[in-house]
Amino acid sequence: MTTRRRFNELLASAFVAAPFGGSLAAQSPRSGGELTVAFDGASIVKFVLDPHNSLFAPHNRVFRSIYDSLVVLRADQTVGPWLARSWEISPDRRHYVFDLRDDVLFHDGSRFDAAALKFNLDRVIDPNVATYARGELGPVVATEALAPHRLGVTLAEPFAPLLRNLSSTKLGIVSPAAITKYGEGIGQNPVGTGPFRFTGLAAGVEIRLERNPDYRWPPSTSTLSGPARLDRLTFKNVPEHSTRVAALQSGQVQVADLVPSQHLATIRSSPDLRLVQQELLNTNYALFVNPTRAPWDDPDLRRALRLAIDVDAIVRTVYLGSLARAWSPLSPSMFASAEQDLAGSWKPDPKQAADIFESKGWRRGADGVREKAGKKLALGFVDAQGNREQRLDVVQLVRRQLAKIGVSLTIESQSGPLLVQRQLAGDYDISGGAQFADDPDVLRRVFAPEARNRLSVVQVEDDQLADLLRKAAREDEPEARKALYLRAQRRIVDEVYAIPIYVLLYNLALSSSAQGIVIDAHGFLHFHEAWLSG
Amino acid sequence: MIVYLLQRLLSVAVVVYGAVTLIFLILFWLPGDPAELVAGPDADPATVATIRDRLGADKPLVEQYLGYVVRLAHADLGVSFTTGEPVFDRLAEQAPATFELTLAAGSLALASGIGLGVVSAVNAGRWGDYAIRSSLLLFASMPPFWLGVLLILLFSVTLRWLPAVGNGAAAQLVMPAFCLGLIAACPLARLVRANVLETLHEPFVVALRGKGLGERAVLYRHVLRNALAPAVTVFGVLTGEMLSGAVVVETVFARQGLGRLLAEAVGGKDIPMALGATLLAAVVFCIGNLLTDVVHRIIDPRIES
Repeated sequence: MTTRRRFNELLASAFVAAPFGGSLAAQSPRSGGELTVAFDGASIVKFVLDPHNSLFAPHNRVFRSIYDSLVVLRADQTVGPWLARSWEISPDRRHYVFDLRDDVLFHDGSRFDAAALKFNLDRVIDPNVATYARGELGPVVATEALAPHRLGVTLAEPFAPLLRNLSSTKLGIVSPAAITKYGEGIGQNPVGTGPFRFTGLAAGVEIRLERNPDYRWPPSTSTLSGPARLDRLTFKNVPEHSTRVAALQSGQVQVADLVPSQHLATIRSSPDLRLVQQELLNTNYALFVNPTRAPWDDPDLRRALRLAIDVDAIVRTVYLGSLARAWSPLSPSMFASAEQDLAGSWKPDPKQAADIFESKGWRRGADGVREKAGKKLALGFVDAQGNREQRLDVVQLVRRQLAKIGVSLTIESQSGPLLVQRQLAGDYDISGGAQFADDPDVLRRVFAPEARNRLSVVQVEDDQLADLLRKAAREDEPEARKALYLRAQRRIVDEVYAIPIYVLLYNLALSSSAQGIVIDAHGFLHFHEAWLSG
Repeated sequence: MIVYLLQRLLSVAVVVYGAVTLIFLILFWLPGDPAELVAGPDADPATVATIRDRLGADKPLVEQYLGYVVRLAHADLGVSFTTGEPVFDRLAEQAPATFELTLAAGSLALASGIGLGVVSAVNAGRWGDYAIRSSLLLFASMPPFWLGVLLILLFSVTLRWLPAVGNGAAAQLVMPAFCLGLIAACPLARLVRANVLETLHEPFVVALRGKGLGERAVLYRHVLRNALAPAVTVFGVLTGEMLSGAVVVETVFARQGLGRLLAEAVGGKDIPMALGATLLAAVVFCIGNLLTDVVHRIIDPRIES
């Protein structure tokens, strides 16, 4: 499939050529200097640089510079050593033992050891702290320091996603001394073991870091064993797209992320700039029809609704060819994604859609909107994110296509908390969303009532699907596990619990002087090897 | 004058109190439960309930309102629902950038508004007048975010004179202040022009000229003083426009500021934070208007009587 080939090319550009060298690859790396990154942090004024308590993907792009993880996710989606040298898993897969590096220091001088790791994991599972990263550890119930650099982890039941989740920024390792010292203020005083240490911030606009001179423990995927090359690394939050690109063009910053599609041609044609992009591991942005609410509890009507939506045309129009349309719930590079299996699995057919509505007794009223027994065929789309990633532009086009077959759609903008409340109560017709994730187990959090995550509430009550996802979370053998997820994804699409829309590519525009920046397998940024050419 | 000032200060207090009450009611009746957002995605209902209890967000309206007013009387703005930090600290961190911006934009608006208005009036009907009026019309009809992007493209990308984003340095203030200042400068200049033209036709101007006074003295010592009074009043109102326009300008130029703080607080139903920011904006707006009234009385002694 074209989609697949496209991603393989992109992955090749990201990993084979990584770190990005461009035409200056011949020049050998230099140390020193300050690199400034303009990132899209939206209008969020409060920076919460606590990996266990961040819900916000943009802040996770900063975490990789401050915090390290226990293990690293490789490009082939397998897990390699990082702060853990090695690990053993018991035959019943309920006990993990991690052997840790013994030469790792936090930025505050305290030592990383089994006790420090225990402190971190205990904090995440502590119900009184209620960290946002709780779901990442699944059924972990206890941790035990077996030796100064050896930690045992006990699970209530097997949990296949554990290692991949441990590679996530959300389980970055924080200094226990700093958590004790700052309490909730750790988010504004981050202390990790990463290649850069925190020096200060201007709330809402800027995060300043400097090189950690002690750094000797990069992930096993890194080509540089010592400290970072840059003296200083600064992240500037520039929420306005055009300004972010302009700040790069003016030379005020050397890197700008999430360049919108209408600027991509400019970046590509500029001799001083380069563009790199890579898929962000996540659940593809999808529309979710509420299957518990009449008349959409009828799968035929959900199918009819989907037949009226021409996803290809929408994605082409909104993203100008810069993003591929999505077929599966999981993004193509994620382990067990069904993108290949599901590609071409259905075709838009507005006429058939209209026929289905007719046969179910929904006839056009005077205003063109279908109705039955006095009830109109109207959908309310609830949204709290605004036009991030041009998602509302997508919904506007969906609205127009649905109007043609007599279904009305209105966009209801809500505040975040109200949206969560309404979704929890099942008080919505259709919503949309995506979640960044490291493991296909994210499907369980979205689609299975048992693990439903409050921010990804989709009212699906399907025992067969929940059962598949539960089995898959416990299954350790990769091929068997993959087969379960393929079945689960097919069911999600067949039952129209989700209508996947686009595959997000995280992109970076770089000035020609910015070298050696790596986008890792999650789609997050590593600046450890980065340097500035003359 | 002192009695007048005291009276006015009292009315400022009443207006600010009214504004706070109004915002409190609006936010209270806004649907949504802040505890949901604070709790995070994996929290169970019990945790949400605990948080709701801690925030006091489920108490009856009167109890919450009285509690807030009593704390406010003790100069306690409370703590943010979403972050648990003192509201005062957040305001102290974000407000200076907004005040710096509004002050610079205000000065620019005053200087350019009055200057251009006078030049335009003196040259009424000639090309200078037309040039000023048409460019003012052009700027007045330009949305600030678009003007901001154009400025960045010219001065940061093409000429590389000014930094595109951030706040703190003087160079970082130039473009945002210009952008925001124009919002107020355009109506001000048109008002000054109209007033000067009108005053130039007053009988007392004919008398002054007949007395043999030079054209400069007529214009600057007498006509302008008369023409300025209404313009000053309007400027007080425009302060409010600039405070609200700051939200957009702060976003375009990636600056710190109250605007973004307030937008975030309202979105997350963070009542104490939204109230704190509103309170501050109301105080600034009222003081701005008080100052313009005082200046008005100085310019126009007739008001005293």
